[in-house]
This record gives sequence, C-alpha cells and structure tokens, in this order.
Amino acid sequence: MSTYRLQVNGKPHAVDTDPDTPLLYVLRNELELNGAKFGCGLGQCGSCTVLLDGQAAMSCMVPVSVVGARKVRTVEGLGDARTPGVLQQAFIDEQAAQCGYCIAGMIMQATALLEKTPAPTDAQIRAHMAPNLCRCGTHMRILRAVRRAADVLAGGKR
Amino acid sequence: MDHSRRKRHIGWWLLLAAAIVLTGIAFAIMWRPALAPQSAIPSFDQARIERGANLAHLGMCASCHTPDLSRPFAGGKPMETPFGTVHSTNITPDRDTGIGAWSLDAFTRAMREGVARDGHLLYPAFPYNHYVRMTQADIDDLYAYFMTRPAIAAPARDNAMTFPFGFRPLVGFWNVLYLDDAPWQPDPRQSAEWNRGAYLADAVAHCAACHTPRTKLGGPDLTRQLDGGEAEDWYAPALNRNSPSPLPWTRAQLHTYLRTGMAEDHAVAGGPMQDVVMHLAQANQADVAALAAWTHSHLVQAPARTTPAQTPGPLPPPTAIDPDLPRMQLGYALYANSCARCHDVGRAPSSGTALPLQKAIALYDPDPRSLIHIVDDGIMPPDGEPGRWMPGFKAILDDGQASALAAYLRKYGAGQPAWPELDQQVRKARTP
Repeated sequence: MSTYRLQVNGKPHAVDTDPDTPLLYVLRNELELNGAKFGCGLGQCGSCTVLLDGQAAMSCMVPVSVVGARKVRTVEGLGDARTPGVLQQAFIDEQAAQCGYCIAGMIMQATALLEKTPAPTDAQIRAHMAPNLCRCGTHMRILRAVRRAADVLAGGKR
Repeated sequence: MDHSRRKRHIGWWLLLAAAIVLTGIAFAIMWRPALAPQSAIPSFDQARIERGANLAHLGMCASCHTPDLSRPFAGGKPMETPFGTVHSTNITPDRDTGIGAWSLDAFTRAMREGVARDGHLLYPAFPYNHYVRMTQADIDDLYAYFMTRPAIAAPARDNAMTFPFGFRPLVGFWNVLYLDDAPWQPDPRQSAEWNRGAYLADAVAHCAACHTPRTKLGGPDLTRQLDGGEAEDWYAPALNRNSPSPLPWTRAQLHTYLRTGMAEDHAVAGGPMQDVVMHLAQANQADVAALAAWTHSHLVQAPARTTPAQTPGPLPPPTAIDPDLPRMQLGYALYANSCARCHDVGRAPSSGTALPLQKAIALYDPDPRSLIHIVDDGIMPPDGEPGRWMPGFKAILDDGQASALAAYLRKYGAGQPAWPELDQQVRKARTP
C-alpha cells in the first residue's frame, strides 16, 4: 500500500492503495465516481475511457502508480443532470444511448477530440471514436451526437 | 606570339566543345519529351480489367493513391522522404487532373521510366524502379484497369521538397544510378511458383522498397538486399538471414500472415504492413501463395536462434546485479500491470490471442521504432477491416515510462542487448 495523490475533475484526492490498482477501480471504488464503467478489463471496449491531461485513456489499463501529476477528468466533470455539458446535452438530444453502459466512455473519447479538433470532419470523428464499442448498435446516433456537439461549439448551427 | 595566341584559342574551343557535350549529356539525362494526349479512352475486355485489378491489389497501388476510401485512386497522400514531402497523384482517368489523356505508351513510359505524359520526371516515391521489370502484358492489363475506374477530378497537391530537390530534372541522375531496365529473368533452378513469387515481389509488390535499406541518395542499397529498411518510420524487418524473428517462419504461417496479417502464435502485422495485407487479401490467392514461397525461401536462411524460455506468469523481476535496476523495475511494473494481462504466456484475452511477450518480433528489431509505435498507438486494423486490436498507451505512459518499458522488454523479454539512444527515439516518435 502507498498513498497516491490524484487530481480528479479539478479536486485533489489522496488514496491509499496498491501501486498496480487500475485507475478505474480507484475512481469507482475509492472516489465514488461511477461514470466510467468496467467492460472488458483489456483495453478492448473503451467503456472506462477517461482523460489524462486531455488525452483519452482506458482507465482499466492505467495502474494508479503511473498517473503522477497528470490531471484526470471523468464524465462527472463535464456537468450533471441539471446542467449537462455540451456533449452530454448532444447525446441526450440525439438519444444516443440504448443501455448506456458505453456512454461515459464515448463522451470522454469525444471530449478529447473536440478539445483538440473543434471542427472535425465526419471521417475524423469516425476514426477518433473507433476504439470505443457500443454493443446495442447506437453508433450512428453517437456519431450524430458528436457532430451536433461540434456544431454547437462552433456557434450553434442547430 | 602569334603561335601561342592560336594555342590559347584552341584551348577555348576545346573547353566550349566539352561544355556543349556535357550540356548535351545532362540534357539527355534530365529532359524527356511530352507524349501526345489521347483523344478518347479506348475500351477493354473484362478479362483484361480483372487481371489488372489483381495486379493493382498485388502492387498495392491504393495504399498510396487512395488516402480517402470514398475517392479511389484520386491521390493526395503525403509521403515524408529525406528530400521533402511528396504527394501521390490522381491516377483515375479524369482527363484534366488524372491520367485520362495518357495513351498506353505514356502509361508504359511512366511505369518503366518514371516520366509523366507531359515529360516531367516523377519522384521515385513512385516505385517505377520496380515496375520497370513488369511484363508488357501486365502493364497493358493494369492500364485497362485504371482506365475503367470512375474518373475523379482531384488536382495534384503541391509537394514540399527541400532545396534543390524541387527541381525535378535532378531525378534523371537518380535514374542513372538506380533505374535498372534489364528485363526480369526467371531462375531455371527454382519452381514455377517460386519464380512467379519472385517476379511479383520484385516487379509488382515492390517488397524491397521498404525491406531493403536505402542509400543516402534514397536508392536501394543493392549490397544489402532485403536486409531490413523502413516505412513511415517503422522498421521494415529484414527478410533474409538477418530476419529478427525469434522463431523461424514456416511457409504456411507466412502465407496466412500475408493474407490476414495474423500468423497464429507468431506475428501480427502493424503499421504500413497492415495496408499491404489489406490489399493482398483481395488478390489472387495463388499469387499470394507464390509471394509466400519466394519470401520464405529467403527467410529460411536465418540461422536458428535460441529464444528466451516462454515463462508462464510475469517475468521474474530483474536482480540486483542490473546496474539499471530502478528503470528495469519500473519497466517490469508497467509490463506486469498493463501488458501482462494479454501478453503473458497462458493468458489469452477474450477477443483473440495476443502474442506472448517472448514471441513479439518487434522486441528483436535492430532499432526500437516499431515497438515504440506499437506501444504508443497500439495495433488497430484499417477502418472497416477485421483484425487484432491492441490499445495504444501514448496517453497512459509518459516518455520516461515508455522508455523504461521498452528497455525492460528488450532485455527481459527478448534477452537482447540494449537499444542505443532509446530515450531519444521515444521522444522523437512522440514529437508531432
């Protein structure tokens, strides 16, 4: 056991845990941030996607000991039910969820894209979202939601 | 007095004559005439077009000429070379921006000599130094295939060459050095299949363009055929006795690998090789088998190697004798916590088998570039293609961590001597 100091959604946290504990477990079990989900545990599905210094990372593959001073962001940091963030609202507007298990990861993956590439092409959205799987089959709505959020951020075409 | 003046005159005349001769030679090397545009695109019978399609797959034309799948063969892919950035061109039969005005003669000249219809010299990023040895029948078929593709208007993108390489006629001197127009000759001691593979590998698939190292002038180093080169900053492994593969390739594995990018328990294609596989999968499978037969005949020259034992469970942590202990311990921890759940012997993830660490060929390469790209970006099949999926770790590992992991894998996974300048290579690969 060691103590790890993490910055999550702008707030500092200190966690006592083993160095090989996946960041996902720390977020869910210690910090009670349950947006990110455990899907495959092998970096194959993306439902655990969070941001590390703005880059999308599958948190099931991140040992807590490698995080260091990097800023962690989860879907909870984007907004809540009363004041959803732009991407969250776009996912609601497009009804881009069936069971919803993959959505927190989808939104964080999309956040990484839009922060770096505010006006992505459809091909860029497709390529960027490729690591994240949805087994209900809402991919087309998810792509539309990301497009919608990009348009809103670009000055509210819709 | 008079006499010496006349002598001086003769000297000047000789100098002038030499200058004229040299200018003539330079002109002959650097200048090619335009060929007349054809007035209309001829028609072709279906069998020719289909043979041409197979050759286009075997030559992986789309790999460079189709960066955008919705616009087949419209060109525009940037290629970084030591001499600047070259863009692939539009080879659809569009009359103004493609090759619709090119007669068969103009197409043949481009394939064999690297000269565009209007006479400008093409950069050897287009591997005409291989296509020069294609049979005329194959060039005819390829022409039939391209002339029957949908025409797309797409003007060539401007290249960004470093001085003085923007002056295309200089390519003429490269051609003097590297364009060997001797026709391809079969080896009568080998089987028909081997010879078919040898022809396809050299004249069509241009394997050596990546797998043979290049000289400072960007030409193939013919003293080191198939000795390992590079492609888009990946190490393209040696296919000869210097093959880095820790286990010998069988011919069956190689055939499967070339068709699918996966040889069970042996190798997974990454980087530019994924594109090669994607195209070979669509080619005539007897031709791919021939390519495998030929390639395998070179790979079997690699001496048998003793590979590190395939240990179940995580590798033992480094002992205190290692002077690089803290770094190796970090690398070990990263391996055990991030890589081992898929790559350890005895653990197969649900979506398919990852290579056990000791079999991963990239650990045995003479330089770490391919490993760094795999760790950073994972292995992702081209859009819409099936294949193994490995997540990338660029967002997870900082430079020092990635470097420690690579150093650990090299030493304790492959049992190979450390790569020189590993830290610099990691930083370089990560510089946008």
